[in-house]
Amino acid sequence: MGRARDTRLAYLLLAPALLLLLTALAYPIGWEVWTSFTDLSPLKDATAHVGLTNYSRLLAGADFWQAAFVTVGYAVVTSVAKLALGLSFALLLVRPFRGRVFVFLAVFLPWAYPAGVSVIGWYWTLNPPTTTSYAPFMGHLKYVVDGTFGTGAWAFVSVILFNIWRGSSFIGVLLLAGINAVPPELFECALLESKSPWRRFWMVTVPLLKPFLALAVFLSLTSAFADLANVWMLTAGRIVFPIIGTQAYFLAIKAGQYGPASALSLTLVPVLLGILLVLFRVFDPPRQETA
Amino acid sequence: MSPRPWWAKLGHGSLLLLAIVYCLFPIYFMLVQSLKTPEEDVFGNPFIVMNPTLENFEELFERQSEVRGFVGVALRRSYPFLDWLVNTLVVFAGSVLVTLVASVAAGYALGRLRPPGFRWWRRAIFATYVVPQTILFIPLFQVVHALALDDSLLALLLVYPSMALPFCVWMLSGYFQHLPREIEDAALVEGASRASAFFRIILPMSRPVLVAAGIFTLGIVASDFMIASVFLLSPHNQTITAGLGTFDVALDELGAVAGVNLLAIPVMMISAVFARGFVRGLTASMLEGA
Repeated sequence: MGRARDTRLAYLLLAPALLLLLTALAYPIGWEVWTSFTDLSPLKDATAHVGLTNYSRLLAGADFWQAAFVTVGYAVVTSVAKLALGLSFALLLVRPFRGRVFVFLAVFLPWAYPAGVSVIGWYWTLNPPTTTSYAPFMGHLKYVVDGTFGTGAWAFVSVILFNIWRGSSFIGVLLLAGINAVPPELFECALLESKSPWRRFWMVTVPLLKPFLALAVFLSLTSAFADLANVWMLTAGRIVFPIIGTQAYFLAIKAGQYGPASALSLTLVPVLLGILLVLFRVFDPPRQETA
Repeated sequence: MSPRPWWAKLGHGSLLLLAIVYCLFPIYFMLVQSLKTPEEDVFGNPFIVMNPTLENFEELFERQSEVRGFVGVALRRSYPFLDWLVNTLVVFAGSVLVTLVASVAAGYALGRLRPPGFRWWRRAIFATYVVPQTILFIPLFQVVHALALDDSLLALLLVYPSMALPFCVWMLSGYFQHLPREIEDAALVEGASRASAFFRIILPMSRPVLVAAGIFTLGIVASDFMIASVFLLSPHNQTITAGLGTFDVALDELGAVAGVNLLAIPVMMISAVFARGFVRGLTASMLEGA
């Protein structure tokens, strides 16, 4: 069996996956990059190349920096909360106890609950139609939050709560699987090394789980940055706290400015790519070839 | 280890209880609402249902019939819910199937055959997650249109797998890479072809990881709202997700919550059945590093 034949077969087997990714992503990304250098708009007939104007105008505007600030805050807050909760779930479930399978299922369900519709349910729970019996209570809560932090704060809080609820479930399950993949002897050794659970947690558990935590961070970040639909649904389009995704959506759909919208959403790519390259070192370290 | 003191047990127990309530309360709340009569929705206790009824669910399946006058039409819109159900089934099952076939093939290629630069292939495929989906649907719509797939479920069968593939390829190639070579070599020595070694030995062994990839894909597919509502326009071609998005908040609250549950409960049950396999598969793919 020649190496060359193996390689040819490998490319053949890769083909369907690559074809899918190329069709769904290559042209759209190319379009987005090209558009970000133009003033393409469905409202105009002619399209002109404008060079870097879209980018420079973006970076000069206060809107962009506000959206960037909110986006980063949103991503950091949700990611930290999801990691903390997810890790707690995983650690709660590591050791066997009676009824563990039920607790595990409970932790698993928020992620399994289809978000495409649960976001609708969440929206109506947190911003109910005025006739329902819980509407006065929710309305009151909304006014308290909005009154303290500004109009629209409650909607933004709803998005954060939903994102954390669903994400912590996935991260909990992912980290539980990660802990299972670590040889238990390593944890037992740690038990002899130190009496303080707090020290053991930071000196042993966290370092051992680092690859899985890194993977979780990345998946959480991309979902937080890209989470347009949730923001959209939960706030019914009334965006008061813009994140980059929603702002790009508005520029494109409401204002018809495809150029600036493309530039805006592309600003996320270098940031995420940089984070990913750093994280690859943690969760995909170069390792020796097994023969 | 000495038996744990009572306060440690109590602490553990209350943490567990807290976790369960936190995770299940929203699900419970939505289920309760969908079982309510309109009267109870307005005047009842929000957390419990005294007279559970399935009329909200039944109403979803009723076709437009006997509506009188303009007000009647406005108040009692009806939806082709049965079509949505079938469409959803087709899209979910199809996406999982497409994703699994493509990612098993790619995972085997990268983890087992290891063409030059396979590690960078893996990373490049995974890195497609950095592309923000936000306004990607505008050019994506052009692609879908060029392929004459607009307003067709096939458009979703193209887009959904591309969202789940990167993680699945990552998982499967990691798993295949760590399988001991001897397993396959033994079969090859006995004169089996590579293909039969794969289908007879490797594939059956990989069941947990396949389950994990399948459940992950289901999670991705079921969590989309945007793509479905942008690409599926005519009511009869919509999935439940896209269709529920067209409901009117003030008028159809109970019906919509029922619709949410009608999709959510089967999906949750399928996922729950495979939940332990999901963890086992994730673990298998993460042994020796992520």
